[in-house]
Amino acid sequence: MFDKRFRKTVRKFSMLRKGDRVAVGLSGGKDSTVLLHSLAELKKDLPFEIVAITIDEGIKGYRERTLRIAKDECKKLGVEHKVYKFESEAGKTLDTLVKNTNAKRGAGCGKESCDLPCSQCGVLRRYLLNKGARELKADKLAMGHNLDDMAQTVMMNIMRNEPARLARLNEPMVKNARFVTRIRPLMLTPEKENAIYAYLKGIELEHVECPYAHFAFRSHVRRILNETEERYPGTKFKIVNSFLDMEGALHSHYSKGVKLAECESCGEPAARDGICMYCRMITSSGAGNRKTAIAKTRTAR
Amino acid sequence: MELIVDSEKKKLQYSGSVSSLLKKLGVMREEVIVKVNGKLAPETAEVGAKDKVEVIKVVFGG
Repeated sequence: MFDKRFRKTVRKFSMLRKGDRVAVGLSGGKDSTVLLHSLAELKKDLPFEIVAITIDEGIKGYRERTLRIAKDECKKLGVEHKVYKFESEAGKTLDTLVKNTNAKRGAGCGKESCDLPCSQCGVLRRYLLNKGARELKADKLAMGHNLDDMAQTVMMNIMRNEPARLARLNEPMVKNARFVTRIRPLMLTPEKENAIYAYLKGIELEHVECPYAHFAFRSHVRRILNETEERYPGTKFKIVNSFLDMEGALHSHYSKGVKLAECESCGEPAARDGICMYCRMITSSGAGNRKTAIAKTRTAR
Repeated sequence: MELIVDSEKKKLQYSGSVSSLLKKLGVMREEVIVKVNGKLAPETAEVGAKDKVEVIKVVFGG
């Protein structure tokens, strides 16, 4: 059942082609590890290559263990594995970025609604995953996002009144050769099924929560959706299927006139003229070695 | 029954379905898997005094 749904999703959205080189965004958590295993299984029937990328954000007491799982699983499956660290790429760990930002603001956010660490982490992680996939000459970047993640993202974009962001959830507004195509083969698989699959396959499950997770709006939405799913089973599927039905209309509406600029600092695609979000973030948060960080991004061009 | 929730052991007087047990414990079904006597069990499984039930949280933020 699990494998059937996985393969059906890959086929339905034409995610893979014969001969593709696929970079898996591998955190070492259950979803990305299950993705790695499922792709390795699929590879027995469809010839394509797999490499794995792990981003080490530098979150004390959290990433060390999943990093070890990621390394072990790649070794077990014979997959090439590359680790990118925030510290060496952006000049600072996430812990330091958050500390610097809080110091600059005078105090930590402290509010339940504060989403800052996750926003910073998301920008840096996406940037480095894309850069890493390109360095590894990957045609596709496979992410472990599951049905729950997708339903949460759809709801978060609606609740924040960000329909343009929702429109590009599955597909970027503008194609750009510097963006490696993202695929989400587990997007129709519930998170709990991933956990069961991991358990049955003997994949080590990580039991440590990211210390910044409680800041995230996503945690709030996750709780609401899980409560709703218990009372009204099928809710998550319905949310994601509704999005997939509307996706075409949303995309064509919001992609009109959208152009990509080039970051003046690192040369990566940027949503607007000037400096991209990544460069702005590592500079404004006082990331010490900005010159080194930007020189590093330029070497990947 | 012997109950383990997040590696914490307790004794509990209970007999009924796994699903009702989770409700009683205030645990969301969507966020856990349950092992009964060492084997993965569906939420419809019936458990009682002689069983060892382990509730494992599998949904984390991050």
